Amino acid sequence: MNLDWLDAFLITGLFEVVMVIGLGLLLHLQLGLARIANFGVVGFWGIGMYAFGVMYVHVDWPFGEPWQFLVSAAFGTLVAGLSGLLVGWLIADLDTDGVLVGTLGFAAAVLILATTEDDLTGGARGRGGLGFPYDIGSVKDNEFVWLVIVTIVVAAILFYVWRVHRSPYGRLLIAVGGNDPLARSLGKPTFRAKIWLFALSSAAMGLLGAMYGVMVRFLDPNNLGVDVTLAAMVGLVLGGTARVWGAVVGVILSVGLFDVVIQNYVPLPREWYTQAIPVLREAIFGVVLIVVLLLRPLGVLGDMRRDQLMRRLHGG
Amino acid sequence: MEFITQSLVIGLTEHAPLVLAAIGFALLYRLTGLINVAYSETITLGAYFGMWANTTFDLNFYAVLPAAGLMAGLVSVASYLLVFRPARQRGVGVLELIIISFGLSIFLQHGLQFIFGYPVRFYDVPPPDTILVLGVGVSSFRLLALVSVAVLALLLYLFIQRSNLGLKIRALASDEGLAQVSGIRPLVVTVLIWFIAGVAGGLAGAFYGVGSNVAPLLGWRQFLMILMVALVGGSWGLGGVILVGVGTSVALAAMALSFNQVLYAQLVLIAAFVVVLKVRGRQAPETAKV
Repeated sequence: MNLDWLDAFLITGLFEVVMVIGLGLLLHLQLGLARIANFGVVGFWGIGMYAFGVMYVHVDWPFGEPWQFLVSAAFGTLVAGLSGLLVGWLIADLDTDGVLVGTLGFAAAVLILATTEDDLTGGARGRGGLGFPYDIGSVKDNEFVWLVIVTIVVAAILFYVWRVHRSPYGRLLIAVGGNDPLARSLGKPTFRAKIWLFALSSAAMGLLGAMYGVMVRFLDPNNLGVDVTLAAMVGLVLGGTARVWGAVVGVILSVGLFDVVIQNYVPLPREWYTQAIPVLREAIFGVVLIVVLLLRPLGVLGDMRRDQLMRRLHGG
Repeated sequence: MEFITQSLVIGLTEHAPLVLAAIGFALLYRLTGLINVAYSETITLGAYFGMWANTTFDLNFYAVLPAAGLMAGLVSVASYLLVFRPARQRGVGVLELIIISFGLSIFLQHGLQFIFGYPVRFYDVPPPDTILVLGVGVSSFRLLALVSVAVLALLLYLFIQRSNLGLKIRALASDEGLAQVSGIRPLVVTVLIWFIAGVAGGLAGAFYGVGSNVAPLLGWRQFLMILMVALVGGSWGLGGVILVGVGTSVALAAMALSFNQVLYAQLVLIAAFVVVLKVRGRQAPETAKV
């Protein structure tokens, strides 16, 4: 494969954008529809990555690739899904404050376990040994194919979210977000809906985490900071929490601007890329959250054309 | 017996700033209804202001405390007037207010790095003396931090519960309309709440900073514990926050001694607090009285 036209940094940047779009879409189901503020996105993403990585590296596999990857990724997805089930059960009947504690607490717990369980995770030093489930040539070729695969996965997530919007389940989630007690009093299974929402979306976040682990080929607890949650949340809020395409547009405008445009096309002093640009990126993301929610709470895309309820829910 | 003494002494001296920060946070939360994630940056700012005054003007640590508290208090008020008050006036919901405070927290966290630089900073203070308390060696700074926190917590408690202004603050929190009719000016009282909370956070930050180092994530790392103490203890008023804060501090020290790993202690406490919140089944109506 001749990829001379493609810069390696561009592949990495595009991978970040596509992965965060996936996380933003899943956060849209939780925050945009059911109004559950998951501040611990990185926890579910991270537990998927670590469960995958630990399984991949530590098990003495009797078979080779791609089964080693598939079984490990399935394990990471399952662990993230079960974690989502547990956290969902814990927070399903709590108010926003309780949800904040539960989700932030889970993310903190994952970081603590990743740091302390040295034998399994490599602790603060991290652990390598991850690899692509195929080898088609150079690292760049493998990374490009991996970018295509993650794009297909995220496209599937987008299709699922689109379907949810047009399904009775989606309307139930909107009802839960609008007025949970009322929906419950009408006999709707709101508790169950929230738990399953959390389990499924967390599982998908875990899968994206596992795929990220393959891309960077290293388990690093420094990745478990607030950056991942922030990127997904900024993308979603900027694009529009109520819209299916909100996360897609918002992440392209935010993460895409920094990780693709500035990193690859703006000529800045080399030392800026290591400290100044990442710090500036996060500071601007913080401002974007404030400004958008103050001036345009429904984001760039605005309210849903077919459902004015969302306008009321999101303060538009 | 030795284990209990060690847990008590280490817990109370090492985690005293947690109690002070939790009081400030709970004050804001109970009286305005807002979960302010950016409170963590009030703590960080207090640490940075104190360090800056200490290293720039060669001032004694205790001489910089009032300035650190005052500056953090002013930043807290500015965040209310520039961000949260306009948000409230625009009818922004509770959930969005939390996200806004999250955004403000991230902005301040990273903005501070542009002002104070990227490396970890330290207070320029002489090495502290070690004093034996119940057979456990404690640094003089930590001991004085405990005494200062105890005095400040008591003053805050008395101010809120006994003073005329404290009465106005509580009146505003329980019924804004009635308080306004009674001649209480909501803006002045609300600004006062934000200032007091900011001062408490800033002082806690200065104590955290002198005890270890000053870094952009200083407040963020403490936030979850502060939030949990304030939410669980806050149901019983400021006294409850102090009690739960002290209990948490001692439990952290006890578990850190048992596990030989402070992070496991945090893990156990996170699980315990989430279970407490679950059992209590907090489904209170959402009020956003900022």
